Amino acid sequence: MKKELLKIDCEKYFLENGLQVILYPDHSFPLVSANIWYRVGSANETPGKTGFAHLFEHMMFQGSKNVPKEGHFRYIQEAGGNLNGSTSIDRTNYFETVPANYFELPLWLESDRMGFMAEGLTQEKLDNQKDVVMNERRQSYENQPYGTAWEKLFSNLYPSNHPYSWPTIGWMEDIAKFELEDVKKFFASYYSPSNASLVVAGNFETAKMKSLVQKYFGEIPKGNHVRDIFVPEFQIPATKKIVFEDSVQLPRIYLGFHTTKAFSRDDASLDLLSDILTSSKNARLQKALIFEKQIAQEIFSFQYSGRLDGSFIIVSTAKPGISLEKIKEEVQKEILDLTQNGISTEELERAKNSLKSAYIFSLQKLDHIADHLNHYNYFLNEPDSFTLDLSRYEAVTNDQIAEAARKYLTAEHIELNIIPKK
Amino acid sequence: MIDRTKAPVPEKNISFEIPELNELQLSNGTKLYFIRKEKLPIVYTDLLFLSGSKLDPADKKGLAYLTALLIDEGAGEYDSLALNGEFEKLGTVFSVSSSHDSIGLTLLSLKENLSRSIELLSKIVLEPAFEEKDFLREKKKVLDKILQLKDEPSYIAETVFEKLLFENTHYSFPEIGDEKSISAISNSDIKNFHAGNFTSSNSVFIVAGNLTQEEALEHFNKYFKNWKSGSKTSVPFLKPEPKPTSFYIVDKKDSAQSEIRVGHLAKKRNSPDYMPARIMNAILGGQFSSRINLNLREAKGFTYGAGSAFHYYQDSGLFQVSTAVNIENSAEAISEIIKELNGIRENISSKEIDFAKSYLIKQFPSRFETYAQTAKNIEQLLLHDLKIDELLNYTSKVDSATPDEILNAARENIITDKLTVLAVGDKTKLIPQITDKFNLEPVELDIYGNLLS
Repeated sequence: MKKELLKIDCEKYFLENGLQVILYPDHSFPLVSANIWYRVGSANETPGKTGFAHLFEHMMFQGSKNVPKEGHFRYIQEAGGNLNGSTSIDRTNYFETVPANYFELPLWLESDRMGFMAEGLTQEKLDNQKDVVMNERRQSYENQPYGTAWEKLFSNLYPSNHPYSWPTIGWMEDIAKFELEDVKKFFASYYSPSNASLVVAGNFETAKMKSLVQKYFGEIPKGNHVRDIFVPEFQIPATKKIVFEDSVQLPRIYLGFHTTKAFSRDDASLDLLSDILTSSKNARLQKALIFEKQIAQEIFSFQYSGRLDGSFIIVSTAKPGISLEKIKEEVQKEILDLTQNGISTEELERAKNSLKSAYIFSLQKLDHIADHLNHYNYFLNEPDSFTLDLSRYEAVTNDQIAEAARKYLTAEHIELNIIPKK
Repeated sequence: MIDRTKAPVPEKNISFEIPELNELQLSNGTKLYFIRKEKLPIVYTDLLFLSGSKLDPADKKGLAYLTALLIDEGAGEYDSLALNGEFEKLGTVFSVSSSHDSIGLTLLSLKENLSRSIELLSKIVLEPAFEEKDFLREKKKVLDKILQLKDEPSYIAETVFEKLLFENTHYSFPEIGDEKSISAISNSDIKNFHAGNFTSSNSVFIVAGNLTQEEALEHFNKYFKNWKSGSKTSVPFLKPEPKPTSFYIVDKKDSAQSEIRVGHLAKKRNSPDYMPARIMNAILGGQFSSRINLNLREAKGFTYGAGSAFHYYQDSGLFQVSTAVNIENSAEAISEIIKELNGIRENISSKEIDFAKSYLIKQFPSRFETYAQTAKNIEQLLLHDLKIDELLNYTSKVDSATPDEILNAARENIITDKLTVLAVGDKTKLIPQITDKFNLEPVELDIYGNLLS
């Protein structure tokens, strides 16, 4: 496999107002993707005001000084493009992919809301989007089987004043309380060029794009300094078991372990450990619990790492008549075996090969490349890090996998059981 | 200061030509549709079997689905785990999907691993193991999955709605089957389904990748030359007659929302007014800035999203509006949906038509961005017996639809006095609302869509 494929030839520079700009010209297909990351996510919220970063993301689609309500959708769709935004614990992103001749349109739209969003705000728009977000919470969490498990798990994994302890969508009672003044304050605090990075990728001329980026974004004033997030010192809590009833047919167990932040030393080992435990039929936990013993209906795991911290999560649904204690016992047995006897070279090679191909496959979509340039820029301060990222995984040894399992998965943890309502 | 009051307009239109489609034939007669796509060293292969769940025997619903699940549980000299391991070593993504009309086996592979990936695919198709122990394990997995699906309100809404529309035809049953029908299936049923349907005459290859036509033929001929043609399978379909508008509910205790479906059966994909109907639906509910979403989400705040679509099975189309709303607004939401369905039959503005046409024409190139997307365009042609002309002349087909044709498409394809209206949610909240709003008692069904007695 040719590794140079993963070299993304982009250019990064700053506007005077602090906006980071990353340009990646690629003339292979007639599309242009714009992608903005604001360095604000649910971790910037405080208890009692949760869910605001996400609600704010919705408000960014409600128009700005020169763009009417829903105008972003209307303009981009009329151009044959697609668009959206998303909010995570660490950041909020906004993205548009358009036919190449519409390369200027996303710049106009994004700069209008970066600079002049507050001028389009009304109480009516806020009330409407509060209703929409409350319905999003109902649809995606409350009305889904096991849908509120994540927030139960994370609010027990972290103390209540830790920024990763509340859900990104927010608590229902907090969403209901937000006022127009909150929106204005949030915009002034976080939505400025100096707290954002803009990627433009695709079929454009670099010189022309540079002058347009300057034209649309250059005059937006630099923002205030963004306050650091308060991260409380905390002791990893003692192992604890929580049980909840839900409208479900089969019981499900969640095990949450404290680990380490994104791109830190053990992060890649933990990703690969997760693959070796659950990513295929041959993976250890799948093989033992689903294939051989047939006690679990499904099992998956992942290293969930952010800017401030990380955790490793294992989730499994029991077959009818099988207790969650039994599932947990088998999971622990497999982990113990892995820590004592390590893994085989073949297991590690399989995991690495799948990962390598996945990196190449991921280059098929321009919007994915654009978002990843921002992702790497956010965490590593270098957008062109596909190669570096992959080499983190290639460097992981058998011993490091066993060591990661020993260090993190045999320690204190939170166990959540979701069991059928009686 | 720059003038920000007007949206920038593009200087010129882009020209986009869809990649050339080559219709090839393997030495054993199997058709292979080939599209050369360069840039990345990737090849996507879609082996499409033109038979799916609609061929399930009446007492063995779920047979096609279960066969698709079992097809890669060991093949040739490899048992289930070893076979999976071989794909992982290559970094090839092998996947199986099944639907009412078809079963698809796909490979996403690096070019350097293509030959070996095709070899493994050929073992799966030609020499599947179908071991009894794998059969028992996967069958139990399906039974437990059926149990789990009872928790999913959107799944219940989807399957009950299709049962109501398709009555006793082969599309009325969920692909996965039910407890009783799955229990009736034996491993020899699986083997027979495979023998009867995984035949060369029943299937086509669609390949989109960075290789030449000659290379493609060479690889596939090498491993599939001995594949027997077999027979082509088909099954008759008698479209149910539409019935006057009726309201149904399925109880989901304490639900925070109700899942709503409104619609009826529709024409087939190859009907002459497909394109005007598609333009009309883009205006009605086919994208974010559509009438239904702007009303239910952006004006009323009832939902996170609402939309409408024509779904096309081989033998019949289906039109449906779908949304999930907070339970208190269920009847109001249904009433607004019906209002929009009536409204689109009355008038469609030229501004709306211009918008929808622009949207449909300009987004067309992006349907060819990835290798899989490119192949899926061809798959749709094959499933619905359409000519390549459908893609080649796509733009002019959208462009040439007249306002009259589009309004007529609404009147012909949205039948507001023959609607099936379904809400899945807490019945103690749904029944009074619906009774009050529409002056009728909704019919209560169980989660399988059967009348509650």
